[in-house]
Amino acid sequence: MTLSGRRSRAAIIGVGTTEQGTLTGRSANEIAVDALALALTDAGIANKSDIDGLITCRSFGGYGVDTQIGPMIGLNPVYSATLDYGTCNFSLHLALMALEAGLASTIAIMYGTNQRSAGNRFRATPGAEDYGAPYGFFNVAGPAALAFARHQHLFGTTERQLGEIAVAFRQNARLNPLAIFTKELSIEDYLASRYIVRPLRRPDICMISDGGACLILTTAERARDRAQRPVHVVGAAQQTGLRNYQNADQLMRPWIASVADRVYADAGLSRADIDVLYIQDPTSIWVLQMLEWYGFCPVGEGGRFLEGGRIALGGELPVNTNGGQLAEAYMWGWLHLCEAVRQLRGSCGDRQVPGATVAQYCSTMGFLKAASSILAVDR
Amino acid sequence: MTVPHPAQPEPPPADPQSEPFWTNLRAHRLTMQRCEECQYVRWPPARHCPQCLATRAVWAELSGRGSVWSIAVYEHAYAPEFASSLPYNVALVELAEGPMLISNLVIDDITAIRIGDAVTAVFDDVSADLSLVRFAPAPGEVA
Repeated sequence: MTLSGRRSRAAIIGVGTTEQGTLTGRSANEIAVDALALALTDAGIANKSDIDGLITCRSFGGYGVDTQIGPMIGLNPVYSATLDYGTCNFSLHLALMALEAGLASTIAIMYGTNQRSAGNRFRATPGAEDYGAPYGFFNVAGPAALAFARHQHLFGTTERQLGEIAVAFRQNARLNPLAIFTKELSIEDYLASRYIVRPLRRPDICMISDGGACLILTTAERARDRAQRPVHVVGAAQQTGLRNYQNADQLMRPWIASVADRVYADAGLSRADIDVLYIQDPTSIWVLQMLEWYGFCPVGEGGRFLEGGRIALGGELPVNTNGGQLAEAYMWGWLHLCEAVRQLRGSCGDRQVPGATVAQYCSTMGFLKAASSILAVDR
Repeated sequence: MTVPHPAQPEPPPADPQSEPFWTNLRAHRLTMQRCEECQYVRWPPARHCPQCLATRAVWAELSGRGSVWSIAVYEHAYAPEFASSLPYNVALVELAEGPMLISNLVIDDITAIRIGDAVTAVFDDVSADLSLVRFAPAPGEVA
């Protein structure tokens, strides 16, 4: 299978997303299974036993484990696994490896959460041990605010420039029926909104929500003649920063640049080929950092790059056409990948990027791991 | 802008690995483990040196000098015991010996200190069981 000469590592043939928001009365695992059922329908898979690989994602409260999901969906897949960390990219890459290793032929990757209904407060700061708690250092908003304040100090980045991210994503969410946050947000509204952890404001930090998502992958050969146009994974790369604060400038996450070096090489593509970009965004600073480390602009120039609606729909580089975590739903980045597939299918309606054939998804697990995938379709 | 540090944190959970750190803080000594094999100063407390994996280490007293890597100001209480302290600052301090430490700055006007400024450790006995190390401006010192 070639995509203008590029190698397909796997094909995404089905996508399922539940409604997002507050889903009372359903467990996290039930929400995940709801998403699987939707993905099977989307893929046109009538016999669920065609799924011979299952990769689940652990969710708040200790749910989302493959051994819990198996009996709920009545399957004994030949291969199964559970990842502790989400953002979908890591699950996607594990599925690629399982397909390439011949461990399974058709794999469902899935995630469901009821953490809003179940009252997750995210008090802890990921990766900071307990040593920050006596000083009031809580929530991912804390390290994110430190990272942005540092960026401001080094490069003169302004709050108005950062605000371009939340404003663009909210505008995208207003065109997305799945999105939770659809009230109009202007840059003036943004600058008038309250600080949560200065210099970050309410719209810079995502809200906890319930929801489910599932994608079904198979090999490029098996993806022919399916219900949906297959969306191929043509590049994948990861890098960790597991040493955490032992790394120099850890909150800036400079090691992400190493993913960029390898993901474009793996895909045989360059940044200029990316029609639509997805960046996992628990806070807006993630977007600023990744635009720089992936080389869409030089390091330090992210603020100026964001000006003038460059990342908005209709801009030079549309980012998070779904609204992202900041405006669509939390979902640990899973919906970014679902949206990327739908954009490349050309099924995004009013928010469709015309003629999009190549998409990239960049995500991180807090301050410790990064992953990126490049997706493409034949036109 | 007056931004105090938070007043009433809870003591950290008891942990044999970090116990010397907290005990030494109560004696107003900022200490971290220095590897006896390779001299790497490690943080947070751990059995193994992350550089050379040796386990022998001494709790070395640090200079208390450092520079401000960044500053954030909490205007939302993620934990109820900090609600009465809002707004309060949290700083990441790059210690002279290398490690990065989350702490608070002891300063009335947060705009009077900037990222990169030199700071020095000050000790705060917040309760009979808990002392914390915070950082105050170190005028005249070059970070």
